[in-house]
Amino acid sequence: MTASMHGDDTLARDMALPVAIRSVQARNLTVFIAAVVLLVAAAQFASSTMALKLILWISFSICALSLDFVWGKAGIFSFGQNAVFGLGGYAYAVIALNFFPDSQETVSALLGAGLVGALSSALLGYFLFYGRLSDVYLSIVTLAVTLIIYTVLASTAGPEYHIGEALLGGFNGIPSLPGIAFPALFGIGGTELSIHQLLTFSILFTAAIYFSLHLLVRSRFGLMIEGLRSNELRMELLGYDIRKLKLIAFTIGGLIAGLGGGLFAAWGTFVNPSVFSLAQAATVVVWVMVGGRGSLLGAFIGVLIVQSAADAADLVITEQTPLLVGLLLVGVVMLMPDGIVPTLARWMKVGGHRPRELRARLREQGHAGAAADRRLSVADIAKHFGGVHVLRGITAAFGDHPIHAIIGPNGAGKSTFFNILTGRHRPDHGRVVLNGSDVSRVPTFQRCRQGLGIKMQVPCIFADLTVRENMQLAALISKDAQDIHQTLQRVGLSQRADEVARNLSHGEQQWLEIALLLVQNPSVLLLDEPGAGMSEEDKRQTIALIHSLSSQHTLIVVEHDMEFIRALSAPVLMLHQGIVFRAGTFDELVRDDAVIDAYLGRRSHAA
Amino acid sequence: MDAFVVIAVSVVTAIATLILISAGLAVIFGLMRVVNMAHGEFLMVGALTTTSLVLKLHVPWWLAMMAAPFVGGAIGGLMEILLISRIYQRHLVDTLLITFGISLIMFQLAVDIFGTTPPGIETPLGALTVGSYAFPAYTLVLLVSAVVMLLGLYLLFTRTKYGLLARATAQNPAMALALGVPAKRINFITFTLGCALASFGGAVLAPMISVSPSLGQAFVGQAFMTVVIAGPAFITGTLLSAILLGGVSNGLSQGLTTLWGLTGLFAMAIIILRFRPLGVSSSWKRGL
Repeated sequence: MTASMHGDDTLARDMALPVAIRSVQARNLTVFIAAVVLLVAAAQFASSTMALKLILWISFSICALSLDFVWGKAGIFSFGQNAVFGLGGYAYAVIALNFFPDSQETVSALLGAGLVGALSSALLGYFLFYGRLSDVYLSIVTLAVTLIIYTVLASTAGPEYHIGEALLGGFNGIPSLPGIAFPALFGIGGTELSIHQLLTFSILFTAAIYFSLHLLVRSRFGLMIEGLRSNELRMELLGYDIRKLKLIAFTIGGLIAGLGGGLFAAWGTFVNPSVFSLAQAATVVVWVMVGGRGSLLGAFIGVLIVQSAADAADLVITEQTPLLVGLLLVGVVMLMPDGIVPTLARWMKVGGHRPRELRARLREQGHAGAAADRRLSVADIAKHFGGVHVLRGITAAFGDHPIHAIIGPNGAGKSTFFNILTGRHRPDHGRVVLNGSDVSRVPTFQRCRQGLGIKMQVPCIFADLTVRENMQLAALISKDAQDIHQTLQRVGLSQRADEVARNLSHGEQQWLEIALLLVQNPSVLLLDEPGAGMSEEDKRQTIALIHSLSSQHTLIVVEHDMEFIRALSAPVLMLHQGIVFRAGTFDELVRDDAVIDAYLGRRSHAA
Repeated sequence: MDAFVVIAVSVVTAIATLILISAGLAVIFGLMRVVNMAHGEFLMVGALTTTSLVLKLHVPWWLAMMAAPFVGGAIGGLMEILLISRIYQRHLVDTLLITFGISLIMFQLAVDIFGTTPPGIETPLGALTVGSYAFPAYTLVLLVSAVVMLLGLYLLFTRTKYGLLARATAQNPAMALALGVPAKRINFITFTLGCALASFGGAVLAPMISVSPSLGQAFVGQAFMTVVIAGPAFITGTLLSAILLGGVSNGLSQGLTTLWGLTGLFAMAIIILRFRPLGVSSSWKRGL
């Protein structure tokens, strides 16, 4: 795809990759297919015992893969992946026992296991993410869920606990399940697979899951969840609904774990509550820890290392698996918190940041917001925390002038007011109106989609991603995405597009954050102390940047650096004790004794 | 009337049980933000200490229960010095994984030492009768222990120097350190205290439950839920949380089956979290 095809297809140019990288990807695909073929061929020579063990490990790997995705990629630490895995196993058992006698196939049961996994994750995820549980709570709750399912299923021993034909069987679980059997079509299928056929099927099945996940990770959605792990707040400020993103990622993880559980049940032809045990929950985490979170291949390596070690240890002292898993867990966390494989890879200096290929989606070119659409106003805003009335009726309108400044002494209510504008706090009273629509009750991410750009005081960017990927994330969600390259030029970062953002200087990070906003072409830009922590030279550049932006955006700058405010030559709104104390030009304010008194904390002598 | 008394006793027992199994976890999580995944194993240590002392050394049951927190505290303190204190600065997930690893090690060691189904002890004190109903008199010991535990904690954290320093460290560790609070020692005491409390809880419950190395697993899920629902006020919040969850689960258990009781506890906890993600005490002004 060349840039000359469409003058306005600029996103495509920024997102596509050079041909060289594509050929690397083509080679990787060849290697992948060759590896799968080789594995399938080698599998035919495995002994029956070995084949059985491999199938078990493959089903474990699928479970590890799901946690690797959910934790390593999306940053959601869940202790419940083995619970979903177990539910998948039970789903397989229940479906297979009910339908196999008639249909003579269990592929539906395997798919059903995935479906149950996805649905149960979605249900749990809804409560976790829409309740906005923080990460520790999330891990505790997922673990508690696992343990409670264990206790519940273990107490279903009586004959009254059955689903259709399947007796749940309490602690003993459900025995005598049919293995994997394809439906009878074209003369094949209709019988259960032999061990070697099952191994071949498992390899292909896992390869398909792995490859799909790989594609997903390299897609737009993959970039989004990487953004989620890197900086949730910025994702929200770009207009992403992070609850939904997390829910989707968690549900995909559930689907995979459920499929793995189905395969597990088909492997052992039984399923019992021990898959929900604490030891099992820990084991899944250990696989991923050892293999290294975030590398999909690591999931397989982790299972291979840990399970071989467990088997080897079993020869020396039998049935000490929990002890071994516990020691491994403590050892890895204390000594190699990034995981064994990534630590080794770092020593050998392989791997690194790989660019991704994103094809532009066809979008209608938005039109720049008309001047009338660049307004933000508030009416009679009040907010209290406990007994402290921080804001006591603030009315103001921004947009009749391109730049506005908000100042006020410490404790004036500046931050609270800023948070009311962004949507982090809901006002007790009053309205916030953005471009003519009332957004008082609208959450932050939707305000951002409606044309509000928010720049935080401390640079809020995706430090783990490249400058270009930062910009792509901003452009992907925008209805009116601007050219990434041109936007970077505007802030002076076009030479650093492939730099990982954490390597930028403090000032450059501030500009990158502004560029993230600009690429979305917001109508109103909120800047919280844009000059904070900058050198004099950086400040001058920032002020020049703000002036250059003022022709296309309305800017609201909250600042307490008086020189900065003076240089903006903008109307100033001064907050004091929760009200608009003065409004006027900078010069008017500095000549006002009452303003000086407020700043110095003197009792006012101006009547 | 008699039936009412029996039902009330049952509900109160359920609430007291939740308090006993979660207070230690609540102290450590509330003050140190460390999730002690080995909490269940400390319950187990307490229970096994009690049964072993009673059965092997013929120590009176109440004395054996008094000894349990010292055993649990010693193990917990050692664990804090060797492992936990070295990783406070790291991500929360790390302490969680470490304690999880320790939980598995403790479980397996217990199996190796005591076997999977060690003998239990009889419930002391016999039965009380109300009309035609009877219930174990030991229930009163549970109730009194839970009340004493919470009251003791409240006094400890409001009336002692350690309590004040511990709360200060919890609220603002950097500031506390700047003011010269020996944060390291405070954390050590808090962690040891939490483990000792867990062991005491396990010890008191020992005559009422089947004591085995997997005891921790059976209770730790409920303990976690109680603490999560409790929120930042780790004493009063835990009390309210135990009342809510214990009341609901016990009511359902009596009306339907134990299975429904557990499911109800879990469902209620999840629903509360949807609307109060930081727990029931998240909007309270006082932090205890």
